[in-house]
Order: sequence, then C-alpha cells, then structure tokens
Amino acid sequence: MVSEFNLSSEVKDNCVVINTSGYVNNLGGQKIIDEFNTHHQKGIKNYVLNLAESKVVNSIGISFLIEVIEKLNDSNGKLVFANLDPSVDKTFTIMGLFHYAEKAQDVDEGIKLLQDG
Amino acid sequence: MIENKSNNLLIEKLSLQVNSFQEGFRILSESKDIAEIGKNFVHLLRGNLLVVNINLFHKRNNKEDWNELFIQNPESKEYLNNFTFSDDFQLEFKNDEEYKVYTAIKCIDGSYFGIIIGDKIDKSNFNSLDAVTLQIFIRLLDNAYQTHLARIKEKELIFSLNHKVLQLNSLVDTGIEITKLENNTQLLELALERAVALTNASKGIMRIVSSEKQIACLKLPNNIDEEETLKSKDKIETRVEYRGLTYIVTLFDKESRTGFTHFDPTDEILLTAFARQVQGAVENKQLHKEALENETIKKELSVASSIQKKIIPSKLPTIDGYEIAGINISSKEVGGDYYDCRILPDGRVALIMADVAGKGVPASLLVSTLSASLHAYLETNISLEDLAGKLNKIIYKSSTADKFITCFISILDPSTGKLDILNAGHNPSLHLKKDKKLKKIEAGGVALGMFDMGIPFKGEKSVIEKGERILMFTDGIPEAMNENEVEYSDERLEKFCIDNCFHDAEKFIDELVADVRSFTKDTPQSDDITALYLIRKM
Repeated sequence: MVSEFNLSSEVKDNCVVINTSGYVNNLGGQKIIDEFNTHHQKGIKNYVLNLAESKVVNSIGISFLIEVIEKLNDSNGKLVFANLDPSVDKTFTIMGLFHYAEKAQDVDEGIKLLQDG
Repeated sequence: MIENKSNNLLIEKLSLQVNSFQEGFRILSESKDIAEIGKNFVHLLRGNLLVVNINLFHKRNNKEDWNELFIQNPESKEYLNNFTFSDDFQLEFKNDEEYKVYTAIKCIDGSYFGIIIGDKIDKSNFNSLDAVTLQIFIRLLDNAYQTHLARIKEKELIFSLNHKVLQLNSLVDTGIEITKLENNTQLLELALERAVALTNASKGIMRIVSSEKQIACLKLPNNIDEEETLKSKDKIETRVEYRGLTYIVTLFDKESRTGFTHFDPTDEILLTAFARQVQGAVENKQLHKEALENETIKKELSVASSIQKKIIPSKLPTIDGYEIAGINISSKEVGGDYYDCRILPDGRVALIMADVAGKGVPASLLVSTLSASLHAYLETNISLEDLAGKLNKIIYKSSTADKFITCFISILDPSTGKLDILNAGHNPSLHLKKDKKLKKIEAGGVALGMFDMGIPFKGEKSVIEKGERILMFTDGIPEAMNENEVEYSDERLEKFCIDNCFHDAEKFIDELVADVRSFTKDTPQSDDITALYLIRKM
C-alpha cells in the first residue's frame, strides 16, 4: 500500500535527480517544488524526477509539477520523468505534461536525454 | 501652407503615438505574469511620458496591503495612503507636490493597481497630451491584466477539463484493471488508491466488516492512524454489501492548491462508482471462480461417466439356453449402481448387481474398485463366501465410513441351472417359479465395506429351472417416487413380474422401465434404476 511522501535528491552529471516515494499530493508536490527551487536558484537547469516509488498522484500534485515545468521553460531548463508506473504515465499524458517534459525508462536514460539536449 | 504642414506633423505624431500604444498593448498582453506586466508597463510609461520616477503597486482587494510590482523609489511607499478609491478611473495631476500623480484603478477581479509618478525628466509640468497618454496606458494596463486573468482562467479550465477526462478514464481503466487482479486485496488496494487520487483526498480508509466486526482495514497512506483519521469532519463515505461482508470506503480531507477544501457532489459520485466497481469485480471474480469449479466438476463427472459406461457392459454375453437383458439408468451424470454378466473360465456365468451408498464421483470410484476386484477374483476358483470376505476388506479400506456397497452375486452353471448365490445386504432378487409364484432370494449378509470385524458371509444354493425367471435389481425401482412422494413399492414390482412373465428378456426390461416411468410421471428420477433379467428358456 502507498506510504507517506518522502524525497531525496542527488546531483549527477550536472543534472538533479529527485527521487520520491509515496503519494504525490499537496504535501508531496510542495516538497518537490521546494527541492527543485533549492537547486534551480543555484542555476541548475536539468532535472530528472524519479517516480519509481510513487504510484499514486493527484491533480494537486500535478499542478506543482506543472509549476516546475513552467519555471524550467522560462529558464531554458528541462525536466524528464523517469520510472513511471503505467497509471501515472497515463495520468500525465491526459493532463498534458508530456507536451513540455519528457519521460524515460529509468534515471540513466533520463540523464542521457538531458545531456543529448 | 503652414497650416497644412502643421496638420501633417500632428497626424504623423498621432500616428507614431498610435503605433506606440499598439506595440505597448502587445508587450503588456504577452507578459507571462503580473510582475512582468508591471515591469513592462513602467518601461513603456517611462519612454512615452519621459518620467524617471514611476512606482507601480498591486493589491488583491480593498482589505489587503499593497504589493510592490515595480518601484523606482522605495520612499514612494509612504505615499500609498494618498490614493482615493472609486469605481470610476480618475486622473489628476498635482504639479505642485513631490509626486505628481497618485492614481488607483480597480480591475475586473476586484484587485487594484496603484501608480505613483514623480517628475518629468525636464521638470516641466504634465500637460493635457501627457494626461491622454497616461490614461491610455493605464487602460492598456487594465486590458493586459484582463488578458492575463483570462489566460489563467483558460489554463485552469484546460486543467479542470483534463482532470475530468482523467477521472472518467481512470474509472473505466480501474474497472478493467481490477477484474484482471487475482488477489482480492490487490483489487481493493487499487480501488482505494484510485478513489483517493481522483477526488484529491489526502487520505482514504477501506474497512471490511462481517457481523458488525471489522475483519480487515486498508489505509492510504499506509501509516495513518485509523482512529484519529476517522474522527475527521471533512469526509465522504460509501458502503457496499456483498455476501455477508460490508465494505466501507471513507475518503478524508480534500486537498486544494492552497490547503484544503470540501468534497463536492462529483467526488461522492466518483466514490460510489468506484465502490460499485469493486462490488462488481468481487462478484464477477466469485462467479468466475464458481463457473470454473462447475466446469471442472462437469469435466470430472464426464470422465467418471465415461469410465462407468465402460464398467457397465454395453452388450451382455450370449448364454446357451438362456436369455438375459439388463439396464442402468443413472439419476446423475455418474451413478452408484453397477451390474455385470461375465462368462468365467470354467464356463459358468457370474451375474452381479450392486448399489453403492450415495451417488456421484465418490460412488462411481467405489464401483470401479468393486468391478476391478470382482474381475480379478472371479478369474480364480474362489468361493463366493471368500470372495465376499475379500471384497469387504477392499471396500472397507477404500471408502469412508458412510460408504458401503450392497451386492448380489450369483454364479450360474448354464448346463444345470444351478446357482451359487451371495447377497451382501442387497434387495432380495425375485425368482419367478414355474408355478408363477415368486420366491425372494434373501441369502443374508451385511453390505460390503460396512464393517471389518470378520463377520462371515453365507452363500446359498438354488436352481433356475427351464421356463423360470430371475430379476435382480437395485432399490431405485421399488423406491422410485411419484409427485405425491409415494413409492413404486416392492408389491407393485412383484405383481409386475408375475403379470409380465410372457415377455422376452429385452421386452420385460423395457416394459419395467416404462411402468416405473408411468408411475413417477414427471417427477425427477431421484435414484439410479438398474435391473438384470435372466430367463431359462424352455
């Protein structure tokens, strides 16, 4: 069953990888954008959001992700979603997130996508 | 001539001004947020009015404080109280004060822009052209802000529409996905996850209750305190009853971007829809399981039936000087009755009639055991008493306490008509003598497999004379019942034997079955009908 939200991050090859676990809701979305802002203010423009351990996302969580995407668009940055559960993948497709962000099978592929531009 | 030139200059200047306004509007309306609108507005105004000290503020409504949007002089904030608010936009220059313009405009959403402007670069007073220019730019600011609001609303609308599509899609998908799950817990977890996510609930609990006692509970997130969570006032709940279990699904604390909001009727509809899907899926799974089990049972019965058909002879052997016919009609797919007629190595003939307590596959298995054992022992020159003793041990070991076999075995010497008879708890066979009197062949003994206490079986000897007949049968004939639950009876069977003693063996069996059927009419057959009829020809 889905656990409470948790987050960790690491910088790999000038890309920030944010790993989440649990329900991406208001609380989860806020933590993601806070983590994003911390790195974005330092000038990092490439991000991989690893949702391997997050199988449930609500629309409030999605609105935070859209905010991340918009901020990155304004700063010529990029976001790649990695390890998406099929239901989350479908959710993001319907909500239009892939118009402005890419997806990858795993974190390594996500980093490669960002480096290849 | 001079007048014309002056007019042309004015037209050219106005034309440039109009172009500047158009460009100004484009820049303002393309600004991505209110901060950018403010910054662009100040830049445009500075270029067109040639002023250096422009300060722009915004506040959401009359009760809130002003926020700085773009200020060139922090001290201007001290003059914020100089604004006068009215629904009509008014512009007034105060050429003798430090700041020449204090104006506030009310926007369509009830918010306000406040503008404080200092001196012109050349320190000259603001004139009427400046007033017109400023008024136009303030209107442009208002229009750009309206465009900005429309764009936000458009985004919200698209988001909301996408979310509705997502809810519908997820409802359909969940219905399909949960039917694929083997495990009922996974199915309930998935339904709870979807219900929580699609209603933007922050938590969800599914309780399963049996006879008012909670037997299981699923939580999302899994570490929430059930008791504490259930105390929440902002919740929606639905319950589904199925096969004595009550599934109670409760969602708590609907989230919004700014915190929490209240569940709406759509959320309740969605929750009910998810609960119905769970009910449908659980029900379908149960029905599917039952259908599979039934299918398996049918297949097993079909196999048992075909095995039993091979055990019961499809054609009886020809015995010189005798006629013989038999029948077995099972009340179920497989029955517990058995008959056989077999020529032994020494030329004698074994006639067997047996009835297993019960029906179905267990009974047919015992029939198979009996048949195989009989065939094995009858090949040897074993006495009927010893045969019954051995069969008793085999059946006793092969069956449960409630299963036993009644059995009538007769070994006929066709040349003399001598009969060795053993009756292990079976109905007495009916021997129709030459004088048309019936003799019941009792030849007592307990049923096979009932006890294993060494109780001896005692055989009997008899003779079938020319013209005499013997009917062996199971209790399915005398105990066949009509719609009034009245039995066909031993008496009616005995009378039938006497009254129909002129038929050949085949015809006798056919007429017997027809008589039983005419008695029971449309009442479903409750037991197997089995008979073997032997006639010693004249």
